[in-house]
Amino acid sequence: MVPLLDIKNLNLAVDGKPLVSDLSFAIAPGERLGLIGESGSGKSLTAMAATGLLPRAIKASGSVVLGGQQVIGAPDRVLNGLRGMVAAFVFQEPLTALDPLLRVAQQVAEPLQRRARRDGRELTGSLLNREVLALLEQVALPQPERIARSYPHEISGGQRQRVAIAMALACRPQLLIADEPTTALDVTTQAEILKLLDGLVRERGMALLFISHDLPVVAEIVERVVVMKRGIAVEAGPVREVFGAPQHDYTRSLVAAAKAFDDALEGTA
Amino acid sequence: MSAVVASARRSRSSLTLWLGLLLVGLHVAVALLTLVWLPYDPTALTGGRLAPPSLEHWAGTDRLGRDFFTQIMIGSRIALIVGISAVAIGGLIGVTLGVLAAFATRLLDDALAATLDILIAFPTLLIAMLVVAASDTASLGTAVLALGIALSAIVARLTRILAKRVLLMDYITAARTSGTSWLGIVFQHVLPNIWPTLSVNFALQFGLAVIAEASLSYLGLGAPPPNASWGRLLQEAQGTVYTAPIGAIAPGIALVSLVIGVNLLADGLRDIGDPTRRVSR
Repeated sequence: MVPLLDIKNLNLAVDGKPLVSDLSFAIAPGERLGLIGESGSGKSLTAMAATGLLPRAIKASGSVVLGGQQVIGAPDRVLNGLRGMVAAFVFQEPLTALDPLLRVAQQVAEPLQRRARRDGRELTGSLLNREVLALLEQVALPQPERIARSYPHEISGGQRQRVAIAMALACRPQLLIADEPTTALDVTTQAEILKLLDGLVRERGMALLFISHDLPVVAEIVERVVVMKRGIAVEAGPVREVFGAPQHDYTRSLVAAAKAFDDALEGTA
Repeated sequence: MSAVVASARRSRSSLTLWLGLLLVGLHVAVALLTLVWLPYDPTALTGGRLAPPSLEHWAGTDRLGRDFFTQIMIGSRIALIVGISAVAIGGLIGVTLGVLAAFATRLLDDALAATLDILIAFPTLLIAMLVVAASDTASLGTAVLALGIALSAIVARLTRILAKRVLLMDYITAARTSGTSWLGIVFQHVLPNIWPTLSVNFALQFGLAVIAEASLSYLGLGAPPPNASWGRLLQEAQGTVYTAPIGAIAPGIALVSLVIGVNLLADGLRDIGDPTRRVSR
């Protein structure tokens, strides 16, 4: 099967200083891959590189093929067609992920309408309204009519993240890139959002690139992981193998840390 | 306008808005009135020279015996035209340059930013005077163009900084990942989000432009004599300020009330335009 996202020997550098070195991985349609590593290990940059959204100061080399199109060096005009159709983003910080001046309904309507236009149909009026509300319901928002009329600052962090997910889903992408989507949320909301993402990805057969520094969170939602440290992939493979029998010291320390945390919890229980 | 009034009624910050609306509304009403009716012919000698305020001449007469209140009224119209056109020119050039700089490559952005900083280092009035001096004749149009160009540097720098901050937000990246075009991002996200700050700045610029035009006219570089610019009225009143102080007081009050009114109006409108500052019920 042709992979949806195929990254080969990706190098990212700023002013000659390497940020990501010789990174390779691929995601097949419907596959769920986790990118795990500490802050500054190049996880998010890799995700940005996948859609050609790197800051200009960062130079990329190697090969990134998204939906059959080489991303590195491609002009924005070409990439704009890929973005949304092939891949969409969910970000870490739900407050800044929504435009503070637009009501929720308008934010969700924008990608819905664009997708409809690309499919060659016009989406307006009550039909658009219905689709917006349907999406808000799919991300399990309570009282979708009220939320649709709200501004981002009027709803909670977990609700904002659900709206952000609804916006990504509105693009109907083949690949959902979730960059630490639960990090800014409290633990119970985290679990809910994870369950929601898991369900939606399965239901729609989307591929998922899940980025996190949180090992238990990653283990819960993906099939394969790539462990990154300082811009280098130190280990990769199915979740069970990598976390069950870690080969690299760094992975071992991650697993040990997670285990120590679990033990501590059990000790107090 | 009714939407503005309705929101003003709902908003708690309505006092500034109402006061601003009142002052600016007064000037707008007077300016419109001058188009169809004036108490006296502005050039006709209708009374004694330097007559004090009376029932016939509310602000007295000038040293040629022309009705002073009529000239102040015409001054309102000129001030509004100058302020609006200067801000429109400055805003159009400034916002375009600022947005371009925010999106441009690093080299171009740095070059633009440095140029703007140099331009801003010159006082607005000085740039305006240079532009007027470079053109052959002093006219209202030249003065407005000069002020617009001088203001555009300030607007451009502000726009660039505001736009850059907005461009860092995740919702911009989200919009880009979902395939929104460059222009779509500018019009849908960047401009609306910088508008509250920009519009307040525009009001300040409007006030600056009105004052700067008065200064230019005071120096004889603004509207030539048949135009009753407040600055020119002030200049003419200079020699007779002790014998007929109304000649300086009346245009002074007119000038100050318009500038304060615009600033208050902008403050009030900002509170309405920004949903996070709106009082929710």
